[in-house]
Amino acid sequence: MSTRTLAVVSAGLSVPSSTRLLADRLTTATVAALRERGEDATVEVVELREHARDVADAFVTGFPDAALRAAVETVTGADAVIAVTPVFTASYSGLFKSFVDVLEEDALTGTPVLLAATAGTARHSLVLEHAMRPLFAHLRAVTVPTAVFAASEDWAGGDGTSAELSRRITRAAGELADVVTGRPASARPADPFADVPSFEQLLRGEA
Amino acid sequence: MQFGIFTVSDITTDPTTGRTPSEAERIQAVLTIAEKAEEVGLDVFALGEHHNPPFFSSSPTTTLAYVAARTSRLQLSTSTTLITTNDPVKIAEDYAMLQHLAGGRVDLMLGRGNTGPVYPWFGQDIRNGIPLAVENYALLRRLWDEEVVDWSGRYRTPLQGFTSTPRPLDGVAPFVWHGSIRSPQIAEQAAYYGDGFFSNHIFWPKEHTQRMVEFYRSRFEHHGHGSADQAIVGLGGQVFVRKNSQDAVEEFRPYFDEAPVYGHGPSLEDFSRETPLTVGSPQQVIERTLGFRDYVGDYQRQLFLVDHAGLPLKTVLEQLDVLGEEVVPVLRKEFAALKPAHVPDAPTHASRVAARRQSQAQHTPEEVSA
Repeated sequence: MSTRTLAVVSAGLSVPSSTRLLADRLTTATVAALRERGEDATVEVVELREHARDVADAFVTGFPDAALRAAVETVTGADAVIAVTPVFTASYSGLFKSFVDVLEEDALTGTPVLLAATAGTARHSLVLEHAMRPLFAHLRAVTVPTAVFAASEDWAGGDGTSAELSRRITRAAGELADVVTGRPASARPADPFADVPSFEQLLRGEA
Repeated sequence: MQFGIFTVSDITTDPTTGRTPSEAERIQAVLTIAEKAEEVGLDVFALGEHHNPPFFSSSPTTTLAYVAARTSRLQLSTSTTLITTNDPVKIAEDYAMLQHLAGGRVDLMLGRGNTGPVYPWFGQDIRNGIPLAVENYALLRRLWDEEVVDWSGRYRTPLQGFTSTPRPLDGVAPFVWHGSIRSPQIAEQAAYYGDGFFSNHIFWPKEHTQRMVEFYRSRFEHHGHGSADQAIVGLGGQVFVRKNSQDAVEEFRPYFDEAPVYGHGPSLEDFSRETPLTVGSPQQVIERTLGFRDYVGDYQRQLFLVDHAGLPLKTVLEQLDVLGEEVVPVLRKEFAALKPAHVPDAPTHASRVAARRQSQAQHTPEEVSA
């Protein structure tokens, strides 16, 4: 039985946060799904709220500080990522996007990602498809087909909507576990010094 | 080990008074700063090259020639000379001329420049940054090292039987440093030619500088110029120093908070922790600077940035007094005591002329005796 690392990015701001609540349910379901497939998982949660200033500083200085660097490495070094954002003004939150902007190009290439979002109303649910999925397509991440959206009514329970949310969570977690178990454990982020062309190649204009 | 200062020639409003110096004032201030650097016993003055406001230094060799005439010992350098947008023929000519005027007290640091709009002003494209740096420098080397050059390349009209004048002083071209913040290809270039590598160092965490320098050192050895610890390394640094640490912090904070590069971002304390910025007492600057050696090894040149962000001339001159009297003499002694004998000093014109004579004597004894 091998152990996989699962990074959970939550961009919720309030405490308690429904974004974090959804992230936790997706995490629990994914760990269970991995276990059914014979894999253990270590979970590391990145609460972006704690890095709000670090993210802004990174834009100004051009580098992430030590705390943010650790968060970035958690995400880029993971075998799979669960990314959950609240919907703000018809899209992912600015903090969520800013964190993604801090990541190096190629940092998530090939990484399995489960997308999720929360909002006050289900009318925002397509944010997952018109904003989140294209963003992760740009990063060349491997997004699982089911993305999970939770609106206020999903948490209310009673009329069957929360049972429906649970089914979506289980399905998405199963899809993520399938992708993860089908591939070797994650190599750490690519070393930028590993494939520097030789100077002869540079002189020939090959790089 | 050489110690000095480097300036980017920015004309910035003093945030504590709201006053912006005129170009004329700032140009005179930088000349005063350069002369002061020699007076207080520093070794190197390096000047940047920019072609857009708020910077004045579009023509570094003109400025450095003036400084050369007003000084007698100071080594003159650049930070950086744009190898991408300058014609390598003009670099070869200008810096050889400066070398003659300064009696050999000249080296230069090549950089690509990171401002996209500058490239088209000089007929180039930032997307070709690395290939331009590679091709232009290959030509520059030949123009200095060979009397008559036939050449064709991708980025410049061909040359037939071209001789760059004046020829380098004593047949030895100025020493070249290659500066880069984040491109390993430039470290590779420096290593390939056995040139120096200068890490800007001041805007990034030390781990980044450490990786780049390690890479340069290993490639220097790979290309057969000596062992990795004999590679020629320079570092930037940024200090603001007062007798009492707390006075330094209080005085520098408004300049830090409004500084063009990192202002309106992290706190002075955060940035000091993450980068080599040191704001404090002479002893703190000494300890921090000695610590650079722990992650880059024994190195040859330390340049400090002391005159940016709108700091008034009077303050900058006071900084130079403290560096010259209290900081650099201690650093000089401590670094020298730690450096093993086989690690070379920074190359100078005299040492390069001597090395050339020696290698000529070894290779063609009959010609030398004749």
